[in-house]
Amino acid sequence: MKHLLTLTLAVAVAGCSQKAAPKGDGADATPAKDLPSFTLAWSEYPSWSVFGVAHEEGLLNKAKGELGSIEKELGVDVVLVQADYEACLGQYANSTIDAVCMTNMDALAPATGRDSVAVLPTSTSAGADACIAVGIDSLEDLKGTATFGLEKSVSQYAFERGLEAEGQNPADFPFRNMDPANAALAMQTGDAEVKSIMVWNPFVLQTLRDRDGSKRMFDSKAIPEEIIDMVIVGKDTLAKPGADKFVKAVLMAFYQVNERLAADDTRDATLTALGEKFSSLGVEDMAIVCEETKMYATPADGAALFEKESFQKTTMPEVVAFCVSHDIVAEEPTVGFGDAASQLNFDASFMKAMSETK
Amino acid sequence: MIRQPISDTSRFALFALSVVVIVAGYAWMSHRAHVQNPKNKTLPNLSQFVEGWQRMATGKGGIDFVGDVRASASRLALGVGSGVLLAFVVGLAMGCFPAVEALLLPPISFFAKIPPTAMLAVYFVFFGVTSIQIFVALIGFGIFPTLAQAIAQAAQKDVDSHTVSKSYTLGASSFEVVWEVVLRQILPRIIENARLQIGPAMVFLIAAEFALADVGFGYTLRMQSRLQNMNLVYTYLAILAVAGLAIDWVLILLRRWLCPWFGD
Repeated sequence: MKHLLTLTLAVAVAGCSQKAAPKGDGADATPAKDLPSFTLAWSEYPSWSVFGVAHEEGLLNKAKGELGSIEKELGVDVVLVQADYEACLGQYANSTIDAVCMTNMDALAPATGRDSVAVLPTSTSAGADACIAVGIDSLEDLKGTATFGLEKSVSQYAFERGLEAEGQNPADFPFRNMDPANAALAMQTGDAEVKSIMVWNPFVLQTLRDRDGSKRMFDSKAIPEEIIDMVIVGKDTLAKPGADKFVKAVLMAFYQVNERLAADDTRDATLTALGEKFSSLGVEDMAIVCEETKMYATPADGAALFEKESFQKTTMPEVVAFCVSHDIVAEEPTVGFGDAASQLNFDASFMKAMSETK
Repeated sequence: MIRQPISDTSRFALFALSVVVIVAGYAWMSHRAHVQNPKNKTLPNLSQFVEGWQRMATGKGGIDFVGDVRASASRLALGVGSGVLLAFVVGLAMGCFPAVEALLLPPISFFAKIPPTAMLAVYFVFFGVTSIQIFVALIGFGIFPTLAQAIAQAAQKDVDSHTVSKSYTLGASSFEVVWEVVLRQILPRIIENARLQIGPAMVFLIAAEFALADVGFGYTLRMQSRLQNMNLVYTYLAILAVAGLAIDWVLILLRRWLCPWFGD
């Protein structure tokens, strides 16, 4: 009798779940709330707003318990959190989120407290960080004039490296801390004390457009592939079951949106959507922004960067040396490339797995 | 029954208990975080704190503690000083002369309702972003409206009209009435209201330093939390709390010394 009851129950349950499964999705009927769930935090930036677009396009659903097409396909719930850049860094460092969008330079400080793996380079700054001056015509004239920008950040890095690339000594050029939004605003409103600023987009474009006589002194075009925007995942997260699917879902979403950016028929619509997630810039401005922020649009491009000898042997050691000399990190984190033991590991294997399955 | 007095011993014991509970609670959380991840920096343990204090003491590792104290203290002092001075003059005038009140109260009560931190960008445009003016202006104008209203109200309500009439009858001039009678009686209220504005003043100071400064408490707090040096961040926060308490205490002492008749 007991057996019969169990059997009946089992059949009933099986029948129910069969019915509950959404049609056309028969194979994987696990409800969303039972899937492994991971969080990715992103802030407004051309190559990170891509994740906001991925939500709009139905690839990844930002809410917990709701699935986009990629999440359904892989059987993992990706939760997208949009926050200010500094808030993203803080949340990542105290492990309240699994993965975060940040630059190669800013990744060093959190890596000294939480072992990290860079799984995806999203873009590199090729002109998106620029020194803009008013009433100053040459670098000689800029000497001794304070340049305002965010200290101990990619701005200061791009400032000093850009000057070096021009054959100048950065010590001759004072750099003073100011929030980039405020520095740009001060220049746009004509503050007499703010003659030179080092900011990133959208402030570069805004300032050049809104302040007469402002001009680009130099920008990050001179230092290609040194400032890298990336997605970082905690090593503790990667050890959890389902984490590989999470990383794969993030990569797939990024590359699928990039395919839409590349295809002629979807480019403008995707640029518009991206612009809405990035300081409400229009299509034309977004096209410039995306030129200055060169995307690593395919897994092959991304993997090539992580495996490039100059990136491993020159760029990253220089970035680490900069962070140590500017007190950004108190202790130097170990940086590795495909080396699981290092505190910050640039791991191309996820991208390679993607290009192989294609 | 409520308001039952307790002995000094139990008062001290309860004070010690609150401290112990907070310290032990934090130590336990920090310990657990370090068991999970020995390199955790978000809940620093004692040795991490000591390392941070050493950086502050030696000035190494990009920390300029003395510079921060000097910058923030002078900004706060100048800001509060000018705000109180302005509120004192305007508030007293509004409290004593209805014409002044009719003229100034509407705009002051209007601006009192706009949080200065919400119009930071407006201050930047008017006061520049590079010198001390912006901090002084933000703090001064930030605390001025509330303080001026409080002083005006005190001048109207806390000095009864009999006293004013008597002074005139005894031959005092209007200036003497304001200076010798009204001001004497409302001075403790002015000090008390200024003391209550120290909290908002610190909010404005830190907000402005978050956005613009290259030295100061707000600057270091933001920078070090971006770099995840929470040992320094918590230490700076604790110092802010102590500084706030100290200013509070000094103003209470000042009031007792200047106006002993007002009581505790």
